[in-house]
Amino acid sequence: MSAVADFPVKPEARPYLEAARGYSGEPDWLAQRRRQALARFGEQGFPSRRREAWRYLDLRPLEQAPLVPAEARWADGSAVRGQLDAVGLPAPAARLVFVDGAFSAALSAREGLPAGISLYATHEAVKTRPELVEAALEALSHDPDQPFAALNAAFFTDGFVLDVAPGVVFEPPIEIAHIGSGEVSASLHTRSLVVAGAESRIRLVESFVGEGRYWRNDVLALRLAAGSALDRVALVEESEAALHFAALDATLGPSARLRNFALLLGGDTVRQDAIVRSEGEGAHCGLYGAFLATGHQEANIVTTVDHQAERGETREIFKGVAAGRAHGAFQGRITVRPGAQKVDAHMLSRNLLLGTRAAIDTKPELEIFADDVKCSHGAAVGDLDEAALFYLLARGIPREHARRMLIEAFIRDAVEIVEPAMVREHLLGRLARRLAILEE
Amino acid sequence: MLEITNLYARLADGREILKGIDLSVGAGEVHAIMGPNGSGKSTLAAVLAGRDGYEVTAGSVTYLDRDLLAMPADERAREGLFLAFQYPVEIPGVNNMYFLRTALNAQRRHRGEPELDAGQFLRAVRAKLKELDIGEDLLQRAVNVGFSGGEKKRNEIFQMAMLEPRLAILDETDSGLDIDALRVVANGVNRERAPDRAIVMITHYQRLLDYVEPDRVHVLQGGRIVESGDKTLAAELERRGYAAFGDAA
Repeated sequence: MSAVADFPVKPEARPYLEAARGYSGEPDWLAQRRRQALARFGEQGFPSRRREAWRYLDLRPLEQAPLVPAEARWADGSAVRGQLDAVGLPAPAARLVFVDGAFSAALSAREGLPAGISLYATHEAVKTRPELVEAALEALSHDPDQPFAALNAAFFTDGFVLDVAPGVVFEPPIEIAHIGSGEVSASLHTRSLVVAGAESRIRLVESFVGEGRYWRNDVLALRLAAGSALDRVALVEESEAALHFAALDATLGPSARLRNFALLLGGDTVRQDAIVRSEGEGAHCGLYGAFLATGHQEANIVTTVDHQAERGETREIFKGVAAGRAHGAFQGRITVRPGAQKVDAHMLSRNLLLGTRAAIDTKPELEIFADDVKCSHGAAVGDLDEAALFYLLARGIPREHARRMLIEAFIRDAVEIVEPAMVREHLLGRLARRLAILEE
Repeated sequence: MLEITNLYARLADGREILKGIDLSVGAGEVHAIMGPNGSGKSTLAAVLAGRDGYEVTAGSVTYLDRDLLAMPADERAREGLFLAFQYPVEIPGVNNMYFLRTALNAQRRHRGEPELDAGQFLRAVRAKLKELDIGEDLLQRAVNVGFSGGEKKRNEIFQMAMLEPRLAILDETDSGLDIDALRVVANGVNRERAPDRAIVMITHYQRLLDYVEPDRVHVLQGGRIVESGDKTLAAELERRGYAAFGDAA
């Protein structure tokens, strides 16, 4: 690729175009894909705050100090063993580990997977299952709100492809750990895909952790066929200097069930997008999560659920806590298309604001174009319950400890939805650890 | 143990509720404070426990020779003051046992005693529940969440028994209880009577006093104690009504 572009380029995109380079050994179709995506990003540039979906995020620091993509380094991973032990599940059925966006064979294990479940690193799938990588790259490729997905398509180093054959049911969680080593100050782009065959059922746990300053830009496509079920948990504990942008693009077939839970505990700027198309009749979409933002942290959750078929269900519950000078935002939109009758959708955003300098914005929206639906939303921002706090104080629990107990209880309530117990306990353990060092 | 002198207190909106309370409670004593609605019973309990939203404008409260009003609420509790709530608060997401162990260990730390580990704590809990005839089903639930009115009050008495306070203030712990729950509560109070412990029962009705015999009875009316006497005063109150006492008399 050349640094000289024959299309208009936004100034903030220029450093990334200049960083573009060939990926030796990649097939022509992929090189072409990358070029197209880079051109799209160059034209779009960073999203403007005038776009509703980006109004709460200040991208100027990133414009002023660009984090261009790192060259893929295939480290053995021994340097990040400690981070993996902290954030990893005690006993995953299988685990893929990515260090600075590249697969680490030494830290990964896939032997525990049964027949019918294929788990590849994306760079492997480029050779063996190119049609799946192409499908992964389709995700969000033309979404005007997602220019960073185009940047991701241009620069992704790796990611994972999970292909589940129809009818395969596998309950133990499959784990994907994304680790920033702290050795590179760069953007890390991962592109992943889950294809859940008809009537299949699986669980996925992804964790994001790291050291130093980096920009993680992750795109995950979920394709759920008829009657399939996917339970996914994302644990975000990025370094305190890191940016984390993760976009989830999901398509739900008839009677498919998606349940996604995200726990955002760390990172300077964390943004999670979930874009769900409920295409099949009777599909169920569950989006849940919680964030805890302190110091100068920024946490944004943006969801879009598009009901295109009849009898679809959506449940969204998000809980946010902001302390110090942190800012949190929830933007949720549920659309019910004409003819998508009998849709049942509820969205709830509950938030806890600690102190006078923290801020939380919450904006749930319904756009309904069908007349026989049941849809509702609710939003609340408040302080800790004074009566509950006094009850704890009146039993002799010191004020600071009592406040932490109530904050933990507030988020714990959201985590209760997570199954199995092993994953839930793991998240609660990480939450407790985070709260122990909470500065209000 | 507790010395209240000429105590005046008002709400944040400026309404004066307590208008010169004088009360002296000695170690080993059980006092009943009786009064109609709006007489200042719950305000007195809240001011003693250190709840926000009340301003003391005059007077003093001495507890174990210390200025009680100068201590924050959590310190008062660690110094051995216990308030049984009229309306125990539901706290979703906080397990009842975890809550109580945290409280007990905070108080033990304060007294320089070793903390109880989970096993020691559980043994102490089981013994106390048995003694009080309270079921173990309260243990695994979140604090007061989904508890019936009677269960909430039992939970208050159970906490009192576990925390072993020097001064227990029971704010209408008897209200809204059926006869069985009232017996459990009264039995708990009687068991906790001790030479080095004082108990102040705040109540609207004489009913609780059929089961717990007070050393002193006080009538609170219009923010002041208008009459004090022995246990026969309660019976007299029942017979003649609050209107016969104090300003209204």
